[in-house]
Amino acid sequence: MMRRRTFGLAALGAVAALALGACSSSGSGSGSSTSSPTSSTGAVAFNAGITSVVNPSTKTGGTLTFDWRSAPDSFDPGNTYYASDWDFARLYSTALMTYKNCPGACGKTLIPALATAPGTVSNNGLTWTYHIKSGYKFQDGTPVTSQDVKYAVERTFDRGVLTNGPSYFQVLLGGNAASYPGPYKDRSKNLMGLTAIDTPDASTIVFHLKAPFSDFDYVAAIPQTAPIPPDKDTGTSYQTHIMSTGPYEFQSYQLNKSAVLVPNPQWKASLDPSATQLASKIVVNMTMNPNDVDNRLLAGDAQIDFAGTGVQAAARAKILSNPSLKAQSDDPLTGFGWFFYIDSQVAPFTNVACRRAVEYATNHLNMQNAYGGPVAGGQIGTTVMPPTISGYTSFDLYEAASKPQGDAAKAKQELQACNQPSGFSTGIAYRSDRPTETQGAQALQQALSAVGIKTTLHGYPTATYYTNFAGVPKYMSSHNIGIAFGGWGPDWPDGYGFLDELTNGNTIVPAGNTNIGMLNDPVVNNLFTKAAGITNATERNAIWGQIDHQVMSDAVIVPIVYAKALIYRPASLTNVYFSQGYSLNNYAVSGVTGG
Amino acid sequence: MINFIIRRLIGTVFLLIVVSLVTFAIFFLIPRLAGQNTYQLAAQYVGRNPTRQAVLQVEQQLGLADPLYLQYGRFLRGIVLGAHYRSGPSVTYCPPPCFGYSFRSQLPVWPQMMSDVPVTLSLAIGASVLWLIGGVSIGVLSALRKGTLFDRFSMGIALAGVSLPIFFTGLIALELFSYKWPIFPNVQFVPFTQNPVEWARNLILPWITLAFLYAALYARLTRAGMLETMSEDYIRTARAKGLPERKVVAKHGLRAALTPIVTIFGMDLGLLLGGAIITEVTFSLHGLGFFTVQAVNNQDLPEILGVTMLAAFFIVIANLVVDILYAVLDPRVRY
Repeated sequence: MMRRRTFGLAALGAVAALALGACSSSGSGSGSSTSSPTSSTGAVAFNAGITSVVNPSTKTGGTLTFDWRSAPDSFDPGNTYYASDWDFARLYSTALMTYKNCPGACGKTLIPALATAPGTVSNNGLTWTYHIKSGYKFQDGTPVTSQDVKYAVERTFDRGVLTNGPSYFQVLLGGNAASYPGPYKDRSKNLMGLTAIDTPDASTIVFHLKAPFSDFDYVAAIPQTAPIPPDKDTGTSYQTHIMSTGPYEFQSYQLNKSAVLVPNPQWKASLDPSATQLASKIVVNMTMNPNDVDNRLLAGDAQIDFAGTGVQAAARAKILSNPSLKAQSDDPLTGFGWFFYIDSQVAPFTNVACRRAVEYATNHLNMQNAYGGPVAGGQIGTTVMPPTISGYTSFDLYEAASKPQGDAAKAKQELQACNQPSGFSTGIAYRSDRPTETQGAQALQQALSAVGIKTTLHGYPTATYYTNFAGVPKYMSSHNIGIAFGGWGPDWPDGYGFLDELTNGNTIVPAGNTNIGMLNDPVVNNLFTKAAGITNATERNAIWGQIDHQVMSDAVIVPIVYAKALIYRPASLTNVYFSQGYSLNNYAVSGVTGG
Repeated sequence: MINFIIRRLIGTVFLLIVVSLVTFAIFFLIPRLAGQNTYQLAAQYVGRNPTRQAVLQVEQQLGLADPLYLQYGRFLRGIVLGAHYRSGPSVTYCPPPCFGYSFRSQLPVWPQMMSDVPVTLSLAIGASVLWLIGGVSIGVLSALRKGTLFDRFSMGIALAGVSLPIFFTGLIALELFSYKWPIFPNVQFVPFTQNPVEWARNLILPWITLAFLYAALYARLTRAGMLETMSEDYIRTARAKGLPERKVVAKHGLRAALTPIVTIFGMDLGLLLGGAIITEVTFSLHGLGFFTVQAVNNQDLPEILGVTMLAAFFIVIANLVVDILYAVLDPRVRY
C-alpha cells in the first residue's frame, strides 16, 4: 500500500488561517523555449487538469519549487514506498518500466523506460525478459548495464538495511530468493548471487518467477528496478549521493530539510519518454507546516505540493469561495479508497447476513460528510475498487448510492436472517488521531444503533494500528472488535494492486494484517490464481471486477468514499495534469514560467 | 565555591542518568508490559505488507529482541564510547556522544540533532534578547507609572500577549507580513555563517512572535516585582539620602526585582533550547522542536529518547547556571 503520512499538527493553525483573506498568486522564473512534451491541452478551469494538460509550455529555465509537509522515507529508489516519491523519482532514476505521460486514465498505460519494450514472458509465465536501451548513462558517464539493474534489485533483499520498500521481488522470484540475504552480507560470496535473476549480457535481464504473475510489468515499474552501480552503493546513506540516470541529479540534500537538483548532462531526452528537463533547478523544501505549504502555493512561492494529497481546510475554503482560485484547482478521484472492514471471524459476523445488516444500516451520507464531504472527502463508494482502477465494474449491491441514508428495513431483515433480530454488540476500531475516522466511527455507531446493533468505540494511534491492534486477528477476536476502519491506495492501478492485500486469503498474517475482514473465500482466491496466469489485460480486468463483486457479496468491506483531493495549480506551474498512474500530478514533466 | 560547582555537576550527571533510565523505560519497557512483542515493534519500521523474513531482519538489525538491560547498556555505551552500525556494504561509526540509531531515517540520532541545534539556538537567543529587553523595560515603566494610561495600555497588550497562542500570532504574522505584504517573504532558515543579514531577516518574524508571548509574561512579572521592591523601606531610605531617582530605580529597585526574573529566564531559555516546538512548526523552521514533532509522529523511539535527553541536558544546565549565579549572589546557598 502506498503510505501517505499526515502531519499531526495541521489543525493547530486552521482556526487562525481560516480568518485570513486570500492572497494573489504570481510566478517566477525565466528561460527559453524548446520542444513540446505534451499533446492534449486544456484551458484554465476547475478540474481541467483531470483530463487535459493545463498551461502547456516548452519554456526552459527557472526554479521549480516543491513544498512538502513531510519528508521522504528515502530518496533511495530501492528504499521508498511513497506514491509521491515514486512519481518524483522519475526525475533522477529510471526504472525498467514507467507510466505514460498523459492525463487521466491514459496515465495508467505502462511504457518502457530503461527497457526497450515491455517484458517478454515465457510460455509457462515464469520468465520475464527485458532488454536495456543502449546509450543510457549514469551522471558520471558510466554506461548502465543489466548488472546494475540486477544489483539494484538484489540490495532490496537486505531488509535489515533497506527497510522501507515493497517486498514484491522477495515474494515473486524463484531460485534462491527465499533465502538470499542481499549483497551486503557475505559480500564477496553473494555479490550478484541471486539466482532468480540472470544477466546473460550487458543489456539483457531475465527474471525467474516461482509462479506466473501477469502483472510483472507493474513490478518492473517500481523504482527498485532503477540501476545502481555496485561500487557506488553505500547502503543506508546512498540516498545522500544517488547516481542519477534521470534528467536531474542531486546537487545537495539535507536529510529531512531540503534538496536541490540540477540538470544531469548525461541524460538524453531521446531515450527517456517519462520525463523532461525544463526547469534549470528543482528545490524540495521538506517537513513544512501544511498550512504554510498551502499559503506558499497560493502566494506563488512554491509550485507543487509534493505530497499531492490536497490542500488543508483553510486553503480549501479560500479556493472554493474564489472563482479565479477555483479555476486553478482540480478535485480528482485519487485512486484511494476509504472503507471499514467487517471481521468475518468475530461473532456474530461469522454469519454473512449479520455483515450484510451492517452494509444496509450504514448511513453513507453521514459517512461521506465525516470524511470531508463530496469535494475534500470523496464520492460515495459502492464497490471496493474506485473507478480509476483498471478492472473497476460499477454495481451497488447494498444501495449505498441509491439510498445513501441507509435502509433500516433491509438491515432488520438481514438481522432476522442471522438469528439476531434484536441486534447484538460489537466493537469498532479506528485511528483516533485521524479526525475523519473518529467522526466516521461516531456516525457509524449512530447508524447501527438505529437497527439495534450496539457498538463500543476503540481508538488507537495510527503508528501501531495495524501492527498491534486492528491488524492482529487475535486481538480483534479477543476484544470482540468486529469492525475496523481502514483505507487503501494501490501500488499500481489495477485490480491486483487494489484487491490482493485486502481480500486474498493467502495474505492473512498474525500482525500487520491488511485483510482485516479475514476473507478466505475459495472463489476469490481461485480468481486471483486464475488472473495471475492471464496475460491479456482485458480478460484480467474482467476478473478483478468479478472479485470485487464476490467480496461485496461476502460483505467483509463496507466502502465509504472513493477519495478525492483538492489540488491547487499555481499559475507559474506548466504542463500540469493529474495522472492515474501514480494517482498524482505528473511531476516528471513539470516546468515553471513567469506570470 | 569550586566544591559547590563539583557537587552540582555530579548531581547533574546523576540526574541525566535518571532521566535516560525513566525515558528508556517509558518507551521500551512499558510497551512490552502492555503486551507488545519485539516482532510487532519491528513491523512498525519496515514497509507495508512486509514478509516475515523482512520483519525478522529489521528486528535483528535494530537489536530489538535483545534483553532491555542490554539495549539500555548499549545506549549508555554509545554515549560514552560511540557505536558501530551496519549501514550496507560497510559499517558506520557513530562517535560519542552517540544517542542511538534512528529506526526511521536509518541514521544515527546525534548528527541529526546537531544539524538542528543552530536553528533552535538562533531562534531562542534572538527571541530571548528581544523579550528580555522589551519585557523588562515595559514592566519597569509600567510600575513607575502605575495607574497611568501607559500602564493600562501596556498591561492590556501584555495580557493579550499571554493569552494569544503562538500558532495564532505566528500565522497572523506570516499571513500579513510574508504573504499579504511580503516584507519578510519566503521565511526559511539561513545559517548565520552563510549570510548574517538573511539569517536575521528570516528570523525576525519568529523572534517577534516568540518574544511577544514571553515579553508579556516578563513585563507583568517585572511590574509586580518592581511595585513590591519600590515600596520597600530601603528604597525610601535611598531617596531620603538624596540619591537621584534614576539611581534609586536602576541600582536598588531593578536589581532586587530582577533576581526572580533571572531565575525564570534561565529556565525559559533552557526549555526553549530543547525546542521551541510550536514556533518552529508554525514557521517550518527545522530546529529541535520540529525534530521532536517528527520523531513523535514517526514513533521513532531512539529519536524521542535522544531529544528528551538533550532537552533535559539544556534544562539541567540552565538550572546549574542559575544555581551558581545564586551562589554568587547569596553565599548562604553554597552550604
